[in-house]
Amino acid sequence: MKTDISRGTAPDRRSFIALAGAAAAGALVVRSSTTAHAQGATDGMDALEVMHRDLDRALAKPVEERDWGMVIDTRKCIGCHACEVACIAENTLPPGVAYRRVPELEVGAYPDVQRVFMPSNCFQCDNPPCQGAAPEGAITKRPDGIVEFDYAQLTDPAVVQAVTEACPYKAVSHDEGGAWTDGTPAPQPYETLDAPEYGVEWDRAEGGLPAGAARKCHFCVHRLETGRLPACVTTCLGRAMYFGDFNDPTSTVSRLADSEPGLRVSESLGAQPRILHLADDPATCQACHQ
Amino acid sequence: MNNRTDTSSNGEPPHGVSRREFVGQGAMLGGCALLLNRVACMQGDLARDAAGAFSDAEAARLAESGETIYSVCLQCHTACPIKARVYDGILGKIEGSAYSPQNMLVHLDYETPLADAARIDAKLCPKGQSGIQSLYDPYRIRSVLKRAGRRGENRWASIPFDQAIREIARGGRLFSGVAGEEDREVPGLADHYVLSDPAVAGELASDASAVASGELTIEEFKTRHADHLDLLIDPDHPDLGPKNNRFVFLAGRIEHGRKEFSQRWLRDGFGSRNWFEHTSICEQSHHIAYQQMTHQWNGSGWGGGRTHMKPDALNAEFVLYIGTSPFEANFGPPIMAEKITEGIATGRLKIAVADPRLSKTASKAWKWLPVKPGTDGALALGLTRWIIENDRFDRPFLEAANKAAASAAGEVSWTDASWLVEIADDGPAGYLRADAAGVGSAEQFVAVAGGRPVAVDPADGEDAVTGDLRYEGQVGGRRVKTAFQLLWEECSSRTLAQWSDICGIPVADIEEVASELTAHGKKASVELYRGPVQHTNGYATAQALIGLNMLIGNIDWTGGLMKGGSHWHEMGDRRPGPFNMGELHPGKNRNFGVKLNREGSRYDASTVFDGYPAQRPWYPFTSNVYQEVLPSAAAGYPYQVGAVFMHKATPGMSVPTANSQIAAMADLDAVPLLLSCDIVIGESSMYADYIFPDLSVWERWATPHITPDCPTVVSKVRQPIVAPIPEIVTVFGERMPISMEAMMLALAEELGLPGYGPGGFGEGGDFTRPEDYHLRLVANLAAGDSEGDEVPAADADEMELFVRSRRHLPPEVFDAARWEAAVGSDWWPHVVHLLNRGGRYENFDGAYRGDKVAHQHKSMIRFYVETVALARDSMTGERFAGIGKHLPILDSIGREVPDAEYPLITVTYKEIFGGHSRTPGNYWITQIAPENAVWMNRATAGEMGLQAGQEVRVSSASNPDGRWELGNGQTRDVVGRLKLVQGIRPDVVAVSWHYGHWAYGAEDVEIDGDVVPGDPRRGTGLCTNSVLRADPHLGDVCLTDPIGGSSSFYDTRVKVTATAG
Repeated sequence: MKTDISRGTAPDRRSFIALAGAAAAGALVVRSSTTAHAQGATDGMDALEVMHRDLDRALAKPVEERDWGMVIDTRKCIGCHACEVACIAENTLPPGVAYRRVPELEVGAYPDVQRVFMPSNCFQCDNPPCQGAAPEGAITKRPDGIVEFDYAQLTDPAVVQAVTEACPYKAVSHDEGGAWTDGTPAPQPYETLDAPEYGVEWDRAEGGLPAGAARKCHFCVHRLETGRLPACVTTCLGRAMYFGDFNDPTSTVSRLADSEPGLRVSESLGAQPRILHLADDPATCQACHQ
Repeated sequence: MNNRTDTSSNGEPPHGVSRREFVGQGAMLGGCALLLNRVACMQGDLARDAAGAFSDAEAARLAESGETIYSVCLQCHTACPIKARVYDGILGKIEGSAYSPQNMLVHLDYETPLADAARIDAKLCPKGQSGIQSLYDPYRIRSVLKRAGRRGENRWASIPFDQAIREIARGGRLFSGVAGEEDREVPGLADHYVLSDPAVAGELASDASAVASGELTIEEFKTRHADHLDLLIDPDHPDLGPKNNRFVFLAGRIEHGRKEFSQRWLRDGFGSRNWFEHTSICEQSHHIAYQQMTHQWNGSGWGGGRTHMKPDALNAEFVLYIGTSPFEANFGPPIMAEKITEGIATGRLKIAVADPRLSKTASKAWKWLPVKPGTDGALALGLTRWIIENDRFDRPFLEAANKAAASAAGEVSWTDASWLVEIADDGPAGYLRADAAGVGSAEQFVAVAGGRPVAVDPADGEDAVTGDLRYEGQVGGRRVKTAFQLLWEECSSRTLAQWSDICGIPVADIEEVASELTAHGKKASVELYRGPVQHTNGYATAQALIGLNMLIGNIDWTGGLMKGGSHWHEMGDRRPGPFNMGELHPGKNRNFGVKLNREGSRYDASTVFDGYPAQRPWYPFTSNVYQEVLPSAAAGYPYQVGAVFMHKATPGMSVPTANSQIAAMADLDAVPLLLSCDIVIGESSMYADYIFPDLSVWERWATPHITPDCPTVVSKVRQPIVAPIPEIVTVFGERMPISMEAMMLALAEELGLPGYGPGGFGEGGDFTRPEDYHLRLVANLAAGDSEGDEVPAADADEMELFVRSRRHLPPEVFDAARWEAAVGSDWWPHVVHLLNRGGRYENFDGAYRGDKVAHQHKSMIRFYVETVALARDSMTGERFAGIGKHLPILDSIGREVPDAEYPLITVTYKEIFGGHSRTPGNYWITQIAPENAVWMNRATAGEMGLQAGQEVRVSSASNPDGRWELGNGQTRDVVGRLKLVQGIRPDVVAVSWHYGHWAYGAEDVEIDGDVVPGDPRRGTGLCTNSVLRADPHLGDVCLTDPIGGSSSFYDTRVKVTATAG
């Protein structure tokens, strides 16, 4: 009776946190080694700080030279759902709309069992399948790689359905116009906060867009442009989430992509997703997604 | 946004307000539907420039937009420091604070400018982020509600605050309009506030104690105190204390700041001893085991001690988690999770998890040990046996018998492993004293070194004593054994195969885990919390588990077991000034007597003693035995109560065998006056006579303490973030929102309690507002624990930012001049510096010192607890054990509880997105999991013919119908959907504990004749607490650990049956 989930991990696997930190910040290394912590060195910083520096470098470049992407280390996802709630709060999402999901799967038989958490959001594909299902110009690629939805063109129920079904990653939701406090004695003020998506201050509280539209993750582009990381990244309790500029070889995400055996989910579909998943055994994961 | 103007601030009674106005502020907001521009709030007029970088100047502007307040969450007791973003007065987003080691690894240095910290949003769990929905809960109450029907009928009248205070203080025919209560005279608090002269109280207390110990006869007592006998509950039993004890305060989720505030009021003001919180329904036996094992010898007795230690998971190479899931609960996920995931991902750390259910933590473990509930002690002793038999313990550490020997061995802590224990006819008794051995004094102990007894003075730092571990024999004519020998005898009382049979973990796994635990030197540990101790054997089990840490000698070592950085001291008793709160209390009352639940008192040392068993159990070694308070009131043992004040407490839902708690609340004779203070009408407050609205944690003050999982020093400060939702009232001539504090101040004013009002702090100033108290605690934290330990003073920019970021707060909450006056102008800039960061935090570089943690236990920790060993169980009359043990599950009179016709054992657990009783209104979470389920092993369901998704009922021997009995003919079935998994023991079913509500907005209530409809989303799923086993002897309370006081959550055998539907 034992459950060994360490299979598939190479004994020489390096600390990617230390790696990322060292790469991004030179001498400013995130301490992950026992010795460094024990010695109480003063040069350590949280991975968030390192990624903020990555972000600053990217924002100093023209938008077309940025190449936003994510690395999700599923080994460190604890299934806490903090990212889902952070996303809802950040984007004032109504009921039924989820930009971010962490489905769970149980594998094995008692007592050799494992629970697998599979965090995902819009993969911001370079060849987005949703694009072809929408009217011309409704779904576009921004120069920095983000797939942008033009809500005004994405309200026709048939279009919403087509776009939703076209996404192989189930990343698109339909905003049906509801509010969390529907059916309670009093609507509440947090629901009237605007959601500044794609540079527009939407007036959804009055029933306007994006109510009725197809919606999905945009890497918190409003946060990026004010120098802040996406909400799912900052709040991740297990530090499974990494974000940055793949066009910067010294960024955390580039280093992780170069050094770790990552998985592009359902890569064979040709969507060219911009999210890399790390796993103990990518081949096993891949098998489920083919 | 005019949400803070409609607050009945003119003192007019809120009669006639509509239901929608009454229940939430949202009614006012609904018509506004303001578009709140978050970008504008964050950036001011900063133009969006997709191509532009975010400059330093812009970052600074973001920080200085005046919309950020650092405070502290309380969606669970972990109490994470938060950064709250306020938009046009509305709390719009809650993040973790980057200054906080609970939320950043590594956290920002304390002196990081606010502008630099502003853009870093640190991590926070989903409950914490959903706090917005607890604050803006449409079912929040704003005015005082008075019962207009029978208890629990949920018919209410809103009444003026002043009227409620007057009625509660004075009593009378308060419910003459309720059928059956026309003539019921309700005693007011003034009827119980009879002893107010501290000098008289002191004499009574001292002589009552002398009567109990036999030094004074009851006749002598009565003669001496003839003038004051009417002040006592029972002049024949003066050790029960004064009538003041008839007023009971029962707190659920209360934390520091409010604990001290309410204790000043109840104990030192009103003079009642009966202040309780809820720890026995959490993990109390774990705390008591740590505390007893770390009690220090003070020359004449044992005292002090630490109630909680934690693995240094940041540097550990192996941790064995027993019945606790740091990814979901414990204390708590934001600080605990990343240290583990990072360690596992980099290969530094390996973990094993013992839990009957495959928790999320177990799913990342090297080894999952699906232990049978209630047998963790057997697992511990199996591990202990292997470690001792294979000589894998840290011998030099254990041989050190005192401080000097520890120093010589490179250690800072030491144990009693080599100390001699006397073996009496009925088993191990006290430690042998050096005078009895002829080697020293009665204040010294004895070890054997090289065959000769030697005196041990534990704190002696000069003369090292190194003792033999496995000695047994005769010393001074007495039969003795070392503590280590007793441990060996206990663990070798069964073979490894027998321990394996008991706990359900194969021998090979026990061996492998024991080997791993002892393969990393000091960089390994065993962590326990709620799971192994919420059993009748919890204390003894905890002692056995903690002993594993002692065997590997990991105390105070990096990667080992640590006490944590702890906190600065807010009560001002560590340095001269600014405010020694205990002393700033003119006329301070004195409380004494046996507490209602008999915690902290010995039955055989009381005048109530009348042989065994006692009428109900006494709990000399623990405190906050929550489950026993209301049943004791119902039984009138040891005395009748007059009034119970439930603060954020929900015994009717959160206590095992909950139906009897509900019955006690509904019983007018048991509790003639039942008060409640909470933010929503909950499952217990619905039985109250009066409900006072409370401030939510985002509107108020506190000084929560830090988990020992944090290696650095932390003092957190909760402070108002947004305008209050409860109505504004006037107390001591001051306008303030209704809250626990306002209620206590108003009752202090009405009753004339000492230490309140003008001059309430004596020379320390007036006490007329909540923040008069809380700000003084903050000033004490800003001052630190010694001269030179002060936080810096805020500079002019920070002073200005402080005021500007609170510009949305109404004067009833924030008045800079008033706040400054409370702490004095000298301390004010220091207080502002601290409040601007929501507390004070030692920098990360203070965590470690060489190969040890910087903040050390550096004292004794013991395998054997003589005080426990020498005490008798008040029910069985038997002595307790002094050494860690595995005990069967027993009822209060020592009988096993077989319940053989119920085939499964039920356990509860917590999802990280649910907080016991208080998150049903967090709708964001309901999207993740709209309801909970009954988790069962797929094979078990197959054998029982049950299907996934089927509706099933959970029942037990003490609740064979599987029902909640809610009074007034109302019931709720303990019924839910079946979820079939592989990751659970086949003989166990698990139900998460935060669903199954019948109040808290889940069902309709009537206020002022209008029905407020419930929201069915809030009532989904099931809660099994009513099914959990009643003690067969007592009948009206759950099974309980007689030493640690923990209520049993995991010992109930149940049936799971398909419902007709």
